[in-house]
Amino acid sequence: MTTASTLQVPYIDLALQHRAIKAELLEAAASVIDSGQFILGPEVELFEREMATLCGVKHAIGVNSGTDALILSLKALGIGEGDEVITAPNSFVASASAIALAGATPVFADVGADYQIDPAAVELAITSRTRAILPVHLTGKPANMTAIMELAAKHHLAVVEDAAQAIAAEHRGRRVGSWGDAGCFSLHPLKTLNACGDGGVVTTNRDDVAEKVRLLRNLGLRTREKCEVWSSNSRLDSMQAAMLRVKLRYLTQWTEKRIANAAYYRRALADVKEVICPSHEAHDKAVYHTFVIQAQRRDELKNHLAACGVQTAIHYPIPIHLQPVAQDLGYKPGSFPQAESQASHILSLPVFPELTQQQLDHVIKSIRQFYQG
Amino acid sequence: MRVPFSYLDRQFANLEDYLADLRAYVPTGDFTLGKPLVEFEKRFADLCGAPYAIGVGSGTDALILSLKAAGVGYGDEVITTTNTFIATVGAIAMAGATPVFVDSEDGFVIDATKIEAAITPRTRAIMPVHYTGNVADMPAIMTIAKKHNLVVIEDACQAIGGQIDGRPVGSWGLTAGFSLHPLKNLNVWGDGGVIITHDEKTFEHLKLLRNHGLINRDEVAIFAHNSRLDTLQAVIGNRLIDQTGFITRRRIEIAQRYDRELGQLAPHVTIPVRRPGVKHVFHLYIVRVERRDELLAHLTKAGVEAKIHYPIPMHLQPAAKHLGYKHGDFPQAEADCRRIITLPAHQHLTDEEVGYVIEQVKAFYGR
Repeated sequence: MTTASTLQVPYIDLALQHRAIKAELLEAAASVIDSGQFILGPEVELFEREMATLCGVKHAIGVNSGTDALILSLKALGIGEGDEVITAPNSFVASASAIALAGATPVFADVGADYQIDPAAVELAITSRTRAILPVHLTGKPANMTAIMELAAKHHLAVVEDAAQAIAAEHRGRRVGSWGDAGCFSLHPLKTLNACGDGGVVTTNRDDVAEKVRLLRNLGLRTREKCEVWSSNSRLDSMQAAMLRVKLRYLTQWTEKRIANAAYYRRALADVKEVICPSHEAHDKAVYHTFVIQAQRRDELKNHLAACGVQTAIHYPIPIHLQPVAQDLGYKPGSFPQAESQASHILSLPVFPELTQQQLDHVIKSIRQFYQG
Repeated sequence: MRVPFSYLDRQFANLEDYLADLRAYVPTGDFTLGKPLVEFEKRFADLCGAPYAIGVGSGTDALILSLKAAGVGYGDEVITTTNTFIATVGAIAMAGATPVFVDSEDGFVIDATKIEAAITPRTRAIMPVHYTGNVADMPAIMTIAKKHNLVVIEDACQAIGGQIDGRPVGSWGLTAGFSLHPLKNLNVWGDGGVIITHDEKTFEHLKLLRNHGLINRDEVAIFAHNSRLDTLQAVIGNRLIDQTGFITRRRIEIAQRYDRELGQLAPHVTIPVRRPGVKHVFHLYIVRVERRDELLAHLTKAGVEAKIHYPIPMHLQPAAKHLGYKHGDFPQAEADCRRIITLPAHQHLTDEEVGYVIEQVKAFYGR
């Protein structure tokens, strides 16, 4: 028995995305196999060049993951033991892990109503040990880079942009990843530009940072035989680079579709007073890796939507400073009121490019239905 | 005739089966810690006779995460051999510890008789390397480790299938790290690695260490890396893992022929010691030769792709400056760097090609 009311809206549908371009992906994969060049080589170099152009920077360096992009950037900037790095508590844990794994101490600053790190809170968190600011362009919306770069200049701090969710996003007409000393992107399968596995990229305008990251991602090898600095192995697979180059051809189209989906939600939910849509600044281009609303009775809404066949997610229910891992950093509930309050109200709606009009309308209708009782 | 060092074009001359696997796999979108990875881990564990295997980003990461899982970090010293690929040492440094070197022996693995002299109050672990596919003297190393209460992590990156008296690599240490790099005996189409362990607690810890320290989707126990073997690579691994028996057998067969025929060229060519009871899997086939650089040039000219693994030992690398070693500290490894040569010995060589390599070496020495 089938009923008309069982329209399903998954949170994301990678199968759909990959079915559509399967032939091109396999062709790209096959060309790498034929070349036998599985590690670095032309495909990685071409991808790096295309990424650099896309982000408006001099250098892009492919690495094994977004997390590694952050770790290697911090290390390339000489940040380590005894240093403090300021970041946002509402990010994915990797923003803070990378700081800890580079040997430094993560310090958090609260976020604003727009989910982005609050420059005023950042300034208050600066101590004599602060070496860098690591703003996160969370949800695909740029942090206030104008204010952050001013702060960094004033206090002589490095800036590492966590742009894992924000490829092609812009602040005042300038792409994320081109503002700081380094920009870090994730190519995780759930990202807007996604590998068929883990992958990441570091972008930078600084020749010295690019050179150091290249060294660090490849075991510190200057040549096949000479090792200049002990390091790990964190290379973007050539196979992934080749498939990513196929996907780069679709990135604008996919991004515009996400933006259109977000605009549609925003218009359609404008009069639902129990729901706050993400803020939108005219001088920013957000790319909506996630479309995060704040909703009254969030958990009930989530259950209701699930019953209506709409899959949603929470990014993230527990702020990093309240994670078991952060116990020894000395934070407590109440340390970051904005991030904590958001954590109990945020809900990510499906916003992926392949959503149909019918699916979007079904999400909206289901939300309205919930609040109208 | 051209005798190539790499075999990837031959190994993957017929792509159809692999592409069929990918055609079925790619549209699933199951790219992170997916089902094919779980299957591969199970099969890898079985192959190694271990209860647990865990796929990670690379062989290097396999060693880094192993050290971290063993609690090795800042202020600790880890003993390894100076005659290895840099990743062994990079891993120790990345875990925050200090590498301490020991010389190698005639078969290119760590000289177990020299380990005790390198132990200090800060030594926490020994990381023997089953270099070239030869197996380090694990019984002796385990005795030392037990006596001094040290952890043993096996660098088995080059030695899948290696054994001593039927006992497989990875069965002595707390963990063993393997590499699936494209030029390894068991390879995938990019970087990849596997850790095996017999210890359940270590296994659980490793699962956290490779995946952001996540206990579940929302809760984080420790700050940790993202180092997962791509599920896509596991799809390839699942097809190749069945070939390990053939790969190992053929490499041993070729090595034995080289040993036999090149052994007659003494003293121009010296075959390293082949310890009885050791199943050497010949990831690299290395011998010591006279006038090494000239031989290398001769072979290159004759179309034989020979290599040097490696011309500079770890303690003399620019990266090791701060560790305070100097020329002369490890005479065996330093002398070897000047006289070793690696001959192609991969599983896809024909008997004629192997014969041609032997002929060329003989010709060089006027025999």
